Amino acid sequence: MGDAGVVRALRRNAGFLYVLPALAFVGFFVIWPLIQLVQISLTDTSLLGGGKYVGFENYSKAFEDKAFWRALWFTARYTVFITPVLMGLGFALALLTSANRPLQQITRGIIFLPVVIGIGSSSLLWFWLFDQQVGLFNKILVDIGILSEPAVWFTKVDMALIAVIISITWKVIGFGMLLFVAGIQSINGEIGEAALIDGGNYWQRVWYIILPLSLRVILLTTLISVIGSMLAFEQFYIMTGGNPRGQTFTSVYWIYQNSFISFKLGYGAALSIILTIIILVFSSLQVILSNRSPSQ
Amino acid sequence: MTALAEGGARTRAAEHVSRAAGESRPVRYLVGAVCVFICVLMLSPIVLSFVASIKSPDEARASPPTYLPHSFSLESYIKVFEFQAGLWTYVSNSLLVATLTIVICLGLAVPAGYGLARFRMPFKEAWFIILLAPLMIPYQALLVPLYLTFSKVGLANSHLGLAMVHVILQLPFSIYLMRNSFESIPRELEEAAKVDGSNSFQTLRSIFLPLAMPAIVTVALFAFIASWNEFLSALIFMNKETSFTVPVMLVSVRSGKFGAVDWGSLQAGVILSILPCVLIYLLLQKYYVAGFLNGAVK
Amino acid sequence: MHMPSLRQAIFAAALTSVALVPGTAFAETLNLWARSSSSTAAQHMIDLWNATHDDKIELTTITDNQMVTKLATSVQSGDVPDLISFDLIFMPDFMKAGFLTDLTDTLGADPNQAKVAQAFRDLASYDGRLYGTGFTPDVSILLYNKDIFVKAGLDPEKPPKTIGELEAYAMQIKEKVPDAYGYYFSGSCGGCNIFTQAPMMWGSGATLLPTSGDAPALEGPGVKEVLTMLKNLWEAKAIPESAEADTGSNFFATFETGTIGMVGSGGFAISAMKANHPDMNFGIAPLPGIADGNQSSFVGGDVIAIPKGAKHADLATQFIQWQLTDEAQLEGLAKNLILPSRTDLADNKYFQEDQRYVVTAQAVGIGQTPYAFHFNDMVNADQSPWLTMIQTAVFDGDVDGAIEAARDAFHAIAAQ
Repeated sequence: MGDAGVVRALRRNAGFLYVLPALAFVGFFVIWPLIQLVQISLTDTSLLGGGKYVGFENYSKAFEDKAFWRALWFTARYTVFITPVLMGLGFALALLTSANRPLQQITRGIIFLPVVIGIGSSSLLWFWLFDQQVGLFNKILVDIGILSEPAVWFTKVDMALIAVIISITWKVIGFGMLLFVAGIQSINGEIGEAALIDGGNYWQRVWYIILPLSLRVILLTTLISVIGSMLAFEQFYIMTGGNPRGQTFTSVYWIYQNSFISFKLGYGAALSIILTIIILVFSSLQVILSNRSPSQ
Repeated sequence: MTALAEGGARTRAAEHVSRAAGESRPVRYLVGAVCVFICVLMLSPIVLSFVASIKSPDEARASPPTYLPHSFSLESYIKVFEFQAGLWTYVSNSLLVATLTIVICLGLAVPAGYGLARFRMPFKEAWFIILLAPLMIPYQALLVPLYLTFSKVGLANSHLGLAMVHVILQLPFSIYLMRNSFESIPRELEEAAKVDGSNSFQTLRSIFLPLAMPAIVTVALFAFIASWNEFLSALIFMNKETSFTVPVMLVSVRSGKFGAVDWGSLQAGVILSILPCVLIYLLLQKYYVAGFLNGAVK
Repeated sequence: MHMPSLRQAIFAAALTSVALVPGTAFAETLNLWARSSSSTAAQHMIDLWNATHDDKIELTTITDNQMVTKLATSVQSGDVPDLISFDLIFMPDFMKAGFLTDLTDTLGADPNQAKVAQAFRDLASYDGRLYGTGFTPDVSILLYNKDIFVKAGLDPEKPPKTIGELEAYAMQIKEKVPDAYGYYFSGSCGGCNIFTQAPMMWGSGATLLPTSGDAPALEGPGVKEVLTMLKNLWEAKAIPESAEADTGSNFFATFETGTIGMVGSGGFAISAMKANHPDMNFGIAPLPGIADGNQSSFVGGDVIAIPKGAKHADLATQFIQWQLTDEAQLEGLAKNLILPSRTDLADNKYFQEDQRYVVTAQAVGIGQTPYAFHFNDMVNADQSPWLTMIQTAVFDGDVDGAIEAARDAFHAIAAQ
């Protein structure tokens, strides 16, 4: 064998070797802590140290934990409401700004601007805007006559949900919009001539050509957006604090409460594993379904 | 056609299509008006934040709030600048960690994207899914085991260690972008290089990297933004004030007793932390939008 | 014999001079973690120490709500600071977990320690051993707007002495003064309310938090009365609508707008009011209970302790003992209008200038601090049982049900 054999073996596995560093990284820094998390979930470890093996007790407690399932349900509700808003609005904005003329480029840039702000600062910014006492959003609504007096946004679940959705939409819409713009621009380039010959109007073009061809981008962006929403935490932590009466806890928020406030690291780990499995199952489903649809 | 020419042709075609399909002047004006309206809407929270940051701290707290400041004051900014170790310390820490994050992220994502895009290997899809896995795990849950592991190997309290944690967040998306970018490079170029006798590494360096530059710049930009804004691990993984990053300082400067928030400092902090990101975004916009266009579509 | 080279000579001279001057040889640097809301106060003490000692202390501010996590991960990894200043309500949990260094023999024997407020001494003890002491205290008091009192026809020098009076005064303010409210409290902030509403309960005789699964919780006179008072004020709209959603961000700010008659607040408010609103006339009074004489307060603020495994434990102990000396307490704390931990220094020359400081310092003597494990879980956490009880009683109107539910939840937590 000797050197030539080694070189040949390297060449044959070149692809894998290129991927290896990233795999090793994810292995050490994600998979290994994840395994440790599973180990912790089988104990009653406290944040303050100590704890013994308890088997699947945390998991059976989790299934009876009404607050966890309520948080999961609320997170699902949040996801179901915000995803169409983000996707629909994102796509509409993409259609609006897909041309490469200066005005559209500037608009794209401005829409993207909030993406570069940290989520903590952005959530506090909107918390300030919605505050009944010092918030300008309320003041504007009163001044233009929509409200008769400043509203308290965070004492009713629906209003709190709307407030958070507005703030997150503002913050992330630019990201999805840009992904869609990429898709639309590549379609326009390739298919444009054919549609031109057929003589359809703009909206027919959107419905029959652009949308179907953008399906793959739409599905992928939806998947990323859904996963992100299912893992939502900071925006609720800062804006609602769980108000009212714990009805706006999200899954990760509830995990955070258990792990870091109640010190129940073991139980929190079990909840994390359950949540990860749910997300994994859901994502796999979506990937399978989207692979079945006609993409190219 | 070269990639650049292709892009130009695409733009011209898009314009040609929209014009010929009957997009008349009134429609153009309508689109323009909507764009302006949206710009105003999107910018207003930032503008309001800026205006509040130059009010006196007392007026920033006023209820009911005022639109325009009655008196200008840089007190909120001064408070942020002079907090504890001084703004420059935090900024240098943040810049160092962000730079390390970019380097490590690219160092891992570029080869990984190349391998996934251009080579056959067993279980390729499985590896890809594993690489995307970090997206699906609640990141707060990993922090404690990660911290304890890091401190055992001496990575806690170091900029390098923190950068690695930031890379965890960014790697999946970066690999995805690089893979797509490499996939969209025409095979003919690769064939040509092989004919010339290059091995895979040389091909990567001479052919792929230059063409994938937009995607690389995009990955760098997003890695910077993520690292610059990250708070929780920056607080947990660093033990001394002089090692803290900007987000950690911003939370401390605005927090008062019992959850009190100094609104003026908050706004000053928001504006200050946006500035570097916006600067970089503007400077790199050329590369970065193109990066998206090439990298994200397929 | 060869002549020493110039370099060797200089080196020898330097070494000699260093050895001759005591203390400069190996000056240490200690690390002190303080939570961000008390970091300014900590900085005063540190500056004073650094000015007079060769060994220096560096301050690191940790965001309030991450202090526990940070300390826990540090202790478990072995990389701890030398000193920590943190919310005293965490003492029981930390002592029980073995996080802190035993100071019984050093600090416990210090004569100044015996003069520290009882609440701090109790809270820093576990199983007969001492683990820390007060550092930058604060105490809860009733803050009231004298101008509004006058407008409502109330005597500005006669703050309410019972919760009955408090309720009556608040109603009167609501009626007589347009655009003003009688009372305020942060309706979504557990910590704010254990600080300001709870003293009215335990002053009247109630026991609030259980130390174990079968210890009394929310028993005794005061609980129902205070909750009913708040409910009545809320229903009469004598409390602003925004109170319900306030997670603490406007705990103090609302009073600053000048529209609130009375609010439970802390000693920190005095300096803040004088600095930000010198034109507002405000008064300080102890928080009342059911009957006159039931006044009480929450003795809070930060305690200081040494984590287990600290590298400079001896020096750190020195600092803790130093900060209890007359000089440190007066020049570091009282001079900056921060409460001293020692009750014998309550009436000091710096406080004499403004009687309100004296009233506040005296409140430390009549106050308590609840000793409970999982305090955070029971009280400070978002949607904690304590907070839920207040919200259900006041905003939803069900006082009895709220108390029952909270009692069960407290016992469940204490039983862990």
